[in-house]
Amino acid sequence: MNDVSHIIQFLFSGITTGSIYALIAVSLVIVYKASQLICFAQGEFFVFGALSMITLTSKGLPMPIAFFAAVFISVCIGSLIQQVLIKPIQGSSVGNLIVMTIAISLALRGLALIIWGRESYILNPYTKGEPLFVFGASLQIQVLWIVGITILVLLIIWYFFEKTSLGIAMRACAENPLGASLMGISVQKSALFAWAWGAGIGALAGAVVAPLLFIQYTSGVMPMIKGFIAMSIGGLGSIAGSVMAGFLLGLVESYTIGLISSKFSDTIVFALLMLVLIFRPNGLFSKS
Amino acid sequence: MKGSNDYILWVDNVIKTFEGIHALEHVSFGVKKGHIKALIGPNGAGKTTMLNAISGLLPPDSGSVYLNNQQIAGLTPDRIALLGLSRTFQLVRLFTINNATVLDNVLLGAHKHLNPSIFEAMFYRGRMKRKENEAKERALNLLKFVGLEGAEDALPGTLSFGNQRLLELARSLMTEPKLLLLDEPASGLNDAEVESFIKLLLAIRDKGITILIVEHNMKVVMKIADDIIVLDFGKKLAEGTPEEISKNQQVVEAYLGTQKNSCKVEK
Amino acid sequence: MKILSRFWWILPIIFIAIYPFTLGGNSPYKSGVLIFVGIYIILAVSLDLLIGYCGQISIGHAAFFAVGAYTSGILTAKYGVHPMFAMLIGMLISTALAWATGRPVLALKEYYLAMATLAFNEIVITLIIGLEGFTGGASGLGDIPPFKIFGFSLVNHIHYYYFVWIIVFFIIAGSLAVVKSSFGRTLIAIHSDEPAARHFGIDSPRYKTRLFMLSSAFASIAGSLYAHYMGFIAPDDFGVISSVNIMVMLYLGGIGTIYGPILGATFMKILPEITYQFQDYELLINGIILIIVLVFMPKGIYGIILKAINRVLRKV
Repeated sequence: MNDVSHIIQFLFSGITTGSIYALIAVSLVIVYKASQLICFAQGEFFVFGALSMITLTSKGLPMPIAFFAAVFISVCIGSLIQQVLIKPIQGSSVGNLIVMTIAISLALRGLALIIWGRESYILNPYTKGEPLFVFGASLQIQVLWIVGITILVLLIIWYFFEKTSLGIAMRACAENPLGASLMGISVQKSALFAWAWGAGIGALAGAVVAPLLFIQYTSGVMPMIKGFIAMSIGGLGSIAGSVMAGFLLGLVESYTIGLISSKFSDTIVFALLMLVLIFRPNGLFSKS
Repeated sequence: MKGSNDYILWVDNVIKTFEGIHALEHVSFGVKKGHIKALIGPNGAGKTTMLNAISGLLPPDSGSVYLNNQQIAGLTPDRIALLGLSRTFQLVRLFTINNATVLDNVLLGAHKHLNPSIFEAMFYRGRMKRKENEAKERALNLLKFVGLEGAEDALPGTLSFGNQRLLELARSLMTEPKLLLLDEPASGLNDAEVESFIKLLLAIRDKGITILIVEHNMKVVMKIADDIIVLDFGKKLAEGTPEEISKNQQVVEAYLGTQKNSCKVEK
Repeated sequence: MKILSRFWWILPIIFIAIYPFTLGGNSPYKSGVLIFVGIYIILAVSLDLLIGYCGQISIGHAAFFAVGAYTSGILTAKYGVHPMFAMLIGMLISTALAWATGRPVLALKEYYLAMATLAFNEIVITLIIGLEGFTGGASGLGDIPPFKIFGFSLVNHIHYYYFVWIIVFFIIAGSLAVVKSSFGRTLIAIHSDEPAARHFGIDSPRYKTRLFMLSSAFASIAGSLYAHYMGFIAPDDFGVISSVNIMVMLYLGGIGTIYGPILGATFMKILPEITYQFQDYELLINGIILIIVLVFMPKGIYGIILKAINRVLRKV
């Protein structure tokens, strides 16, 4: 491999992880905007998405059906959690909300442990086929699936929040809960849909990456923390910002690992996050 | 003029804009030592903005503010407070977390006298206790002075709105201010409360504390003010004694205009 | 009854004092459980100063726990420094770090602050993992000698148990002294309404930073105690998950009370001793218990106990 192929190889892996980070960050942002809380249970939806898809395919279900079923399971869990646990404590202090989502994540992780045990699982690629070679850099077919599905999902999210009346109403709710409720848009309903979306996207991220990573019941923590970083760099409340930050994060990570140091790539990323929070708290891509 | 020792506060050419809208445009005025000066004007005239600019909450974009001949524009609120300025808020802002009591709130006014440190709290408890007891005595006297005797252990949230305003006043007096800024202290008070409030303000002035008061209630203003400044749309409209102001044609028009509007809104 | 309400705190002290001689507490395992409880009480109480009193959310408290543990560990295991000095140096480093980061970080609010402290925690952990020549990296640092004081080595677990608890009581007493003083009142003003507090001459950035330094120094002491007890430390003990656990103890017990976090830490460290027998169900059960407490006891365990005591007193 020459230098060019290295650079391209890092680009591929950066875009792959960037897709996952972007998806998780977007799921966090949607929940944050509707419920004013950062959900520490988001990593658990990632795990549930991946592991339930693996189980369903092993039971003989075709890939596409297993995929949608896996996402649907998390959508149901997310909606249920919002209705039963989040609704009653809506409006309490930031610390309370954080600890509640931590408690939820413990319970979900415990549930995953009971269902799937302590083993790690990996899924067969969605489609068989030899890796492609581009300028000497290898590209697994699954990566195309990941990036393709990510782009498709992001387009659907964009369409939903920009073009459908429900999505526009949810945005109005996030920006001005009182005004929205006066216009007959229920803040609670909006929060419920947001949790459904958030859980679904989190699970989807897990399901698409399942053929590349070994996943067990504790695997949700790291992707979630990376999602936090992307979300914060994007300015906490911005979907577009968090998508850009997610891909940027993937690329920065991939190139620092490849070119500078694999040991300190996370240190660099977290230091970057602190600098952004301190000097550009509205996000790296904000105007002011 | 700012060099004159007659003025405790001198505001010079202050400008403040919010997102391109001029909230204050080249406003200048002074407050004489020992006076009660009223700052009046229709809604949105920039009265609270002026108080915020003086107290450092939202510093002015340009211009100067002198407190006792010392430039304070651009200083943080805590620095300004230490120089002898205290204020109350239009919507009462009391400290309520962790069951902080009425007495706790007043004692916080003594912050600059207590100047607490961790070291002292842990290792010099006797000294701290002594300072604290002195402050406590002063606080109880002030509560009595404003008419909240016996309420020291209550939670601020359980007080009536009028009493919360009195508590805010006691807390500010606790800082031993040279200049007191009051933001609509009589709003939300009933007639009896307003009467006793007027007496209280005059008593505070007689203690030698200068007052700059923003007030809507013209009855209060005309009774207590030595001096009035009128703002309208962020500009100084007039300045003078209560008699001069009540005769000023521009002021009357500005007020009649908004009063008609506000009547419509109410209906 | 009056005597009880004034001197109730003697009861837990008596319990701690006689525990090693009763209830089978002289076994290394059972005294060990209470040593952990003590160490986590220090962490929870010091975090309560920051979150409960001053309103500054931190998901990075374990970073200072790590600094204390690794400073003690490295200096005593590799350079033969006296444990007492190592502990003091750890405190100094923690305090200096808190001083250096305090102003910019504590200027942030709520979730921004939460994310910044989380990042700080991760920076410390990734540095520990990365600088493996120095810290032992991901596989951990071993051969940390037992604590020594006045030439007397605390090899015996009962001795160490008493040493830890004496420090725990001093830290609790110190924290109570701070929160009940005018310094504590200043913190409450900052927590309630920071801009208003500044109008009373409170230089809030300075006060927040001072408190952050104190809280970090306490966490660092907990780290040193932990390192000398375990003899072996690894980065996993000090990550964001650990910070989150400390935060959970706080809210479980009841924030802004000092006593609440003591109960929360005790509960969280004793609970697994009871639920471990459920094996794979342990995690789920812990999660559900926590959810129940959060939903039905918004003021935590301490709030419930206080309410019960008041009810009994009223009847008496």
